[in-house]
Amino acid sequence: MSIALRNLQRVVPLRRARLRKDVETLRQIMGIQKFDLGFICVDDQRIKHINKKYRHMSIPTDVLSFPFYEDLKAGDLPNATHQDECNLGDIFLGVEFIYRQCQVQTEDFYETLTVVAAHGICHLLGYRHRTEQEWKQMFQKESQVLEEYNRCTGLKLQPLTKNHFS
Amino acid sequence: MLKCFSRALYAAGRLTSKTAPISSTCRGLEQLRPALIAPCPPAVWPFTRTIWMLCSSGSTAGPRQGLLGSTRGTPHLSCGCGGLHTEGDKAFAEFLSDEIKEERKIQKHKSLPKMSGGWELELNGTEAKIVRHVGGEKISVSFNINNSIPPSFDEEETQDSQKNPDNEPEIVSTPNFVVEVTKQATNQSLVFDCHFPEDEVGHGEEEEESDIFTIREVSFQPTGESDWKETSYTLTTDSLDWALYDHLMDFLADRGVDNTFADELVELSTALEHQEYIKFLEELNRFVKCN
Repeated sequence: MSIALRNLQRVVPLRRARLRKDVETLRQIMGIQKFDLGFICVDDQRIKHINKKYRHMSIPTDVLSFPFYEDLKAGDLPNATHQDECNLGDIFLGVEFIYRQCQVQTEDFYETLTVVAAHGICHLLGYRHRTEQEWKQMFQKESQVLEEYNRCTGLKLQPLTKNHFS
Repeated sequence: MLKCFSRALYAAGRLTSKTAPISSTCRGLEQLRPALIAPCPPAVWPFTRTIWMLCSSGSTAGPRQGLLGSTRGTPHLSCGCGGLHTEGDKAFAEFLSDEIKEERKIQKHKSLPKMSGGWELELNGTEAKIVRHVGGEKISVSFNINNSIPPSFDEEETQDSQKNPDNEPEIVSTPNFVVEVTKQATNQSLVFDCHFPEDEVGHGEEEEESDIFTIREVSFQPTGESDWKETSYTLTTDSLDWALYDHLMDFLADRGVDNTFADELVELSTALEHQEYIKFLEELNRFVKCN
């Protein structure tokens, strides 16, 4: 199965092949190659609009996940029997927001995209961070995935949930 | 779920100008013929139309006389151009004059907008070609504004705009375009056939999930040849490995063909289309008025 990548924004120049390669590596590490995934790169305006529409928060953000399986228990993989069901959902990446944050914190844009993408995929797999317990579980999963990613690439990426839960 | 605006073309009610039936003049002409000459079939009579022929109500009774009666919009011949000048033509010309004024009023660009990034524009009627040189490569992008306005498929929106003209959707020209990348050292160009997915054109409330533009086909073609070789292998992107597709998109972006470029191309194409539309209306007006 494949990764559908869309770039709907004009603000940040985006290397599609680089993003796909990084996300593909995450997918292999997480053992979800049999599932389709959608990544949609959007600007502040659009992610703010989506954030307002679905979360009633009229602010731009870094990532919004729309799971295909909404009631998935964290840590479980969907039990897809038909090909149509081999889909985890879509992740909207607020690339303008992320790019700005990277500029402020002098972090690498594509490395940060990988961290954000890992966070988004965890949400598609049922992980949440509304309670401390949920956050711990999600942080643990992100850490495990990124440790393996770091081992493959020689990078030192840290989970997005490292310093907060909400 | 995605919206697309289209031009709401107001159909100009073209009035068909029927030529006066030749048979209606026959009786009067027959009276002038020498008795020995057999009457020719009306359809082959070699007479040209005259004011007398067109305006005469003739002596014939019956329905044919009514067709030429003055109450039925008698055509006027006034300029000797050999064409008809009917009341319908007059109304048509007036309509066109008003339409041209309105279109000029809403024309956004009095001159065509420039593309950023050093692109140079060449025009040939409805065809446009923009060219730039980057590091020994020539990149040219060509498109034709004919049939470049996507049809409307949002009936609700069209109905709204009819109720309230202020809500009329903006007309946007989104032509297919061809990118040719030519390296100096080679005699062949890498050619990308690109298009704008229809669902990206609108700006509705729904989440649009198509790229701004997409590559449909890729092939090598001999440089400088207007006709493409059918025998060149053509890569269609429908069933392509997505990673290869992304590399092709990055390849174009490196040469200045990215989402920002696509936006500017739409702006240029829309301005050119509108300019050509107004030119067409003006030419049509001159043709109808015959001046």
